[in-house]
Amino acid sequence: MSGFRYQPCGTIDHGIARRQFMGEFLTGGAVMAGTSLFSHPVGAGELVSRGRSMVVVYLNGGISQFESWDPKRDVETGGPFREISTTVPGVQISELLPRTAQQMHHMALIRSISTDLDDHGLANNLVRSGRTTRSATEYPELGAVVARGLERADFPLPGHITTMVGGAGGRANNAAYLGPSYASVGVGAEQGGIVNAQLPDGMTVAVDSRRHDWRRFVNSRHRSRVQSAEMDAYAQSYEQALRLMEKRDLFDISRESVAVQEAYGKSEFGRQLLLARRLVEQEVPFIEVQHAGWDFHHNNFEFHLHYVADFDGPFACFLGDLAERGLLERTLVIVMTEFGRTPGINAGYGRDHYPKAWSMAAAGCGIQHGAVIGATDAKGVEVTERKVDHRHLFHTWLRAVGIDSGGQFEIGGRKFPIADPAFGPIEELLS
Amino acid sequence: MSEVTVDPKAAKLRRDYPYTARLLCCRADPTGHYVVAGATDSTVQRWDVLTGERVPLVGHENWVRSVAFSPDGRLLYSGGYDGRMLCWDMLSGAVSPLRTVTAHRGWLRCLAVSTDGAWVASCGNDRLVKIWSAADGSLVREFSGHVDLPYSLQFVPGAGELVSGDIRGNVLHWRVADGEVLRSFDAGGMFSHVGDIAPFGGAIGLSFSPDRGRVTVSGLHRVSNAPAGNRRGVAMSFDWVTGEKLPLQECRQKELDATMWRAVYHPGGLMIGVLEKEIGFWHPGAEDVFHLLTTPDHIFDCDLHPSGTDLFTAHFDGHLRCWQLQG
Repeated sequence: MSGFRYQPCGTIDHGIARRQFMGEFLTGGAVMAGTSLFSHPVGAGELVSRGRSMVVVYLNGGISQFESWDPKRDVETGGPFREISTTVPGVQISELLPRTAQQMHHMALIRSISTDLDDHGLANNLVRSGRTTRSATEYPELGAVVARGLERADFPLPGHITTMVGGAGGRANNAAYLGPSYASVGVGAEQGGIVNAQLPDGMTVAVDSRRHDWRRFVNSRHRSRVQSAEMDAYAQSYEQALRLMEKRDLFDISRESVAVQEAYGKSEFGRQLLLARRLVEQEVPFIEVQHAGWDFHHNNFEFHLHYVADFDGPFACFLGDLAERGLLERTLVIVMTEFGRTPGINAGYGRDHYPKAWSMAAAGCGIQHGAVIGATDAKGVEVTERKVDHRHLFHTWLRAVGIDSGGQFEIGGRKFPIADPAFGPIEELLS
Repeated sequence: MSEVTVDPKAAKLRRDYPYTARLLCCRADPTGHYVVAGATDSTVQRWDVLTGERVPLVGHENWVRSVAFSPDGRLLYSGGYDGRMLCWDMLSGAVSPLRTVTAHRGWLRCLAVSTDGAWVASCGNDRLVKIWSAADGSLVREFSGHVDLPYSLQFVPGAGELVSGDIRGNVLHWRVADGEVLRSFDAGGMFSHVGDIAPFGGAIGLSFSPDRGRVTVSGLHRVSNAPAGNRRGVAMSFDWVTGEKLPLQECRQKELDATMWRAVYHPGGLMIGVLEKEIGFWHPGAEDVFHLLTTPDHIFDCDLHPSGTDLFTAHFDGHLRCWQLQG
């Protein structure tokens, strides 16, 4: 997979900054200077909710709210798709989501998101970090915060995993001051498990073990003279890589029954969601599943016809599967995107970027099932009720999995508010 | 249609028929009296060509994507994203449909009427091509050969045969009597896709040359960025007898991000294709346009007046425009 993702409109996705580090296999090459992650206890504000997971399904590029969570009928902004009823009386979504509509009793909708950035990269950072960054300060993304907030010392897997095609364990750079241990690790739902996780031909377990014994010995000797968080992170990355290798079967979705695999479907998205379910079973704190390419400036309706269908079946299956296995009670699932699409339909029958009034959906633990937060006007142009933005959402997601979003991280003697302290969660959305 | 001489380089706007909703399709009444258009406000708009009087035909419940007249002009058929085919009596001038047929599950994308007026063909998002009795609206036959969304239909002039084109550029030649696929044409070069999820392009329009020597598929190719709309409009023709693929026809003198939603043939042999805001004119078989006529807004369909002297264009800005092709 390329580390670069260009949006159709020509801007470069935020993924560049995050993924330019991925060529390095857990080597901690992106260690931030100045933190002392392993030298301090967990910050006082962090509340650990063991066993909880958060799954973000990220629809990269900006899904249209009209063609998904907030359809509008018989107005010139509405488009050709109609609304359908769901399992929640009175709540309707686009007809493109018939299977998700059958899972609405596990879900909630937020229809009143209003932000002010319409650039992919900047808006992506906005929703992921829960901050409006206009200074040099970098903030950790939601996944890093959750990985830290739900951290367990003995946990054998990375706490922050992004499923992606061909993912081979590379680290991104999205943990900011929390340090690389909380940055996302990219893995793929490949046949046979995570790629490059087996010993090379000719290398025996015994020899490999002796290599690592030697590395640990040298590290230990060096550490007796010099200590730093960077070195700790570096060494920890090796140990985590070894644990990933031991757990490689976990990433092999062919170990699921044929029936389960067929239920999730053969699409890349379905396979990634099935892997996500396996990771939820292992209590991985944060998993992101990406579904890219939603930037339909042209031919919006034809493309949504196919793209939403590609999303709908596997996603509904995923929610149903989590619910049946009792996992949804401890898992928050968020369908995230960076902004909505314009009410106005352009001359190519496309919709452009629109951060002024848009939607997200969520499901699972910590939220009111069946809730619909806020509303837009008849044409979907303005938020008319309960305007919220990325900062409210960031607080809400953390609170839903039991992390005190009003708390602070203490890093290197400095205190960092977990979420923007000027804002709070959407209380009425929380259960 | 009489064979009149046209001079595209002297073409000019003869008349503007304004409406308020975006127009997706248009057809001229074979008698030359009316021109109709399908709109995104779920209406069909009918204009008297001479007086400009506009009458809305209300009955659809979603965007009206296709309109087609019976050969004698007495009946109008309209198909929409509500999956329905409505039949309108043009003689009575009634503004309510004569007949409503639930034709497809999902969008109805195209309609065509056989040259003897006996059949109406439709295709839709259920991937089916259906043949209906024009007399009573009953289903005659159902063809299920397309593996992806069929987009376009055209009866073979003077024969009980039909061609249908789909989003992947597969064009199937059917014998209507028994539903047999007689042969297929590969216009796959006009197909692209987004992320292995969404197909893009395909056989968007179908037409026959006046001598029935070629069947022409209009659409797009050279897609560099589908979600941003970077593509080029093109017509791909096949020799109707041999099936041989003929040289592509496109606009090479000007880079246009465009889909050729439809190409029509003038009785004299000129091919006329719409390319966003431009109307392109090709000499018979020529690979490049010899003239581009710029219009005020994006065009999504076109049709010739039966006199051959005028071309109607349906625009995104809600206007139907009539272009006089003679000086």
